[in-house]
Amino acid sequence: MLFNSLHFLVFFPVVLGLYFGLPARWRAPLLLASSYYFYLSWQPVYGLLLAGTTLLDYVSGVRMSRLATRAQRRPWLYLSLTSNLGTLFIFKYFNFFVDAASQLAGALHLPLAAPTLALALALPVGVSFYTFQSVAYIVDVYQGKLEAEQNLGRFALFVAFWPQLVAGPIERGGQMLPQLRRPHGFDYGQVASGLRLMAWGMFKKVVIADRLALLANPVFDHPRRFEGPLLLLAVLAFTGQIYADFSGYTDLARGAARVLGYNLVLNFRQPYLATSVGDFWRRWHMSLSGWFRDYVYIPLGGSRAGRFRTQLNVFIVFLLSGLWHGASWTFIIWGALHGTYLVAESLTASARAALGQRLGLAARPGVQRALGTAATLALVAYAWIFFRANSLPDAFYVASHLFRGWGHLPTAQLPAALAGLGRHFGAELLVAGAAVALLAFSDYRAERGSVAAWLAGWPAAGRWAGYAGLLLAILYFGVFGSSQFIYFQF
Amino acid sequence: MLKLLLRLGGLLAVVGALAGLGLAAGLRAGYVDAFYARFAAPPAGSLVLGTSRAAQAIKPSVLAARLGQRYEGPWLNYAFTLAESPYGPGYLSSIQRKLAPGTRHGLFVLAVDPWSLSLPKKLQYRDADVPRFHHFKVVVFPEEKSMVSQLASVSQSPNLDYLAHYLHKPFYQLLLNTDTARVIERLHPDGWLEIALLPPSANPPLLRRRTTEKLATYRALAASSHPAERPLHGRMFYLWQTIEYLQQHGRVVLVRLPTGPEMTAIESGYQPDFDQIMTRVARTMGVPYLNYLHQPYPTNDGNHITRGAAGQFSQRLAADIARLTP
Repeated sequence: MLFNSLHFLVFFPVVLGLYFGLPARWRAPLLLASSYYFYLSWQPVYGLLLAGTTLLDYVSGVRMSRLATRAQRRPWLYLSLTSNLGTLFIFKYFNFFVDAASQLAGALHLPLAAPTLALALALPVGVSFYTFQSVAYIVDVYQGKLEAEQNLGRFALFVAFWPQLVAGPIERGGQMLPQLRRPHGFDYGQVASGLRLMAWGMFKKVVIADRLALLANPVFDHPRRFEGPLLLLAVLAFTGQIYADFSGYTDLARGAARVLGYNLVLNFRQPYLATSVGDFWRRWHMSLSGWFRDYVYIPLGGSRAGRFRTQLNVFIVFLLSGLWHGASWTFIIWGALHGTYLVAESLTASARAALGQRLGLAARPGVQRALGTAATLALVAYAWIFFRANSLPDAFYVASHLFRGWGHLPTAQLPAALAGLGRHFGAELLVAGAAVALLAFSDYRAERGSVAAWLAGWPAAGRWAGYAGLLLAILYFGVFGSSQFIYFQF
Repeated sequence: MLKLLLRLGGLLAVVGALAGLGLAAGLRAGYVDAFYARFAAPPAGSLVLGTSRAAQAIKPSVLAARLGQRYEGPWLNYAFTLAESPYGPGYLSSIQRKLAPGTRHGLFVLAVDPWSLSLPKKLQYRDADVPRFHHFKVVVFPEEKSMVSQLASVSQSPNLDYLAHYLHKPFYQLLLNTDTARVIERLHPDGWLEIALLPPSANPPLLRRRTTEKLATYRALAASSHPAERPLHGRMFYLWQTIEYLQQHGRVVLVRLPTGPEMTAIESGYQPDFDQIMTRVARTMGVPYLNYLHQPYPTNDGNHITRGAAGQFSQRLAADIARLTP
């Protein structure tokens, strides 16, 4: 079930009505049942997979909580990690690695029948998210940072909580389980704030992301038909699309959870206003960055093992982050590119600071910030080419032709590039521009303080007119076709 | 909670009213897209069926003017596109939903060509939905999930089911004129789809580009498709079923529509014996088969005949049907 589908439009009010209508003790069971319904509406058979891994993680956690030392707990940790990461490997990475091994074997003239080894399995929706959430839980219990959840139903709800089940944010047990233990009643402020966040998330998804997709898709689907300006337009469109899409989904998830009385962690903090790539990763998909920091980077030694090892650790983390996003070379190169950016950023920090001093930028922090933001956005947008391209050759074509063909207007290629926008491409470009400007303004305001607090300062009539305007904008300018959220595929 | 419900109710009422007004204005303006009016029209007694060639070539109002005394109305062009309405289970169900109940003397013009009876070379199969016969596999028709196959309400105005599920353009565009500086697109109340390049005398560069693109599409289609050859197999089975069903409600005529010379060449290369197959089908089913493939009518993209030619062609078709079906 997609948040931007008619199915959800029925599901959400029904769940909400029952949730607040039922006695408090029935609310958690209702949420668990609705979470499984939400998940089963995609692929019923994979509900068994979710239930199976949940049960194994629950048992592992409970057993570990009864054992005194780490050595005694270790077999349960390994069992749980094998189950979660094994599931992820089989469903997401097996065919990729077999294919890679087959190509390597071919290059070395070794016999390896890849097609017979390949598994015909569909990727379970959200598997990358809920397995990472479970891994975090089990490691925290193993390390004694978190008490194991003794109630199976509550633990199952922690894993399957529908607002964040399929595309995060990746919650931590320490943040979420205490909330699940608390009773939740109706809170006007919380519900109203959640609904506002949902409306804003929906606007980002259907008005901005899905419209920008109409600009990006025709070019990325047939990149060799285009060059220079139109490739750049598509790259910029995708840069906007993925932010509006994923942050829109997160707003919907956090908003829905807030309506139900739960607070999910912040996942985005104006990432395109970051002044460095390091800063970008402290603002983009924060729950995943935090996961990699705590469960990969620090166990690898973090920054405690010397300069070279620190840079290597950073690179490894981003390589794995790329692989997490998809079993494809394009994602691995995307991760490697970001790893390279960060290593280069770290190695050139003092030289850049000295250059800034010499150019007098230190005395002009506003200019320095603007330059940093522009450079970061350019680097991030360039890396998105590898994230979005349908294949590695396509990605290299776009990356290498981005700056060619600027000597003439691409009039012959223009109709094909704008084909996705339909007949009214002028109006569509205008709507897209206005909507992106609104998103940019919202991020700018959020950077200076809470947008909610800023809105609260408006006169009531203006505020309500704003809410009505937002809903009307969704209805009138939304691109509806039940397009999936980009991060669902991960 | 009451406070929230009241405020939310008020907000949604205002938004709903404003959205409803906009939608009503958009629908009143008369044009939603190239399909909607067919699903908002009342059930029909006489139908033009086929794909986009028929949608643009046959004007039911012209047929009705000549043949309206003999056959039941209302008359409707219920032909869509190759992706939506090739002969198959989905299109047949939709036709059954669209036909006015109790029709006994309708006229049903079935446009046929190799494409509307072809299947992809790479077929997908699923288990047969027949108890005790689950080991049988049946072909999954590519249009199974399409609008024509899926839409349950095909004669409702306004058709909210269609607007909610299949209108793939933002609502605000309902309020804009669909014609652009280069192409006119209008779906008439009788279901005829009028497409015209501007200026009306034709626009050579645009016409050339459209023709080149269309021919390339069909060459690729020929390479990836398998023509229908055997009776009672694939789409041919559903053509038979469609004819059989419609014969219970009136008279059926099979028509092969005119197209551009290059498209004719592609089509003849793809399935050279198509006419013999259709002649056999027509003879077996006891229906006339009219072949206009080689008739010279101008096209707007190498495939679909122009709006001016559609009027002339519809006149001729009406005259031929009048002659053949006394």
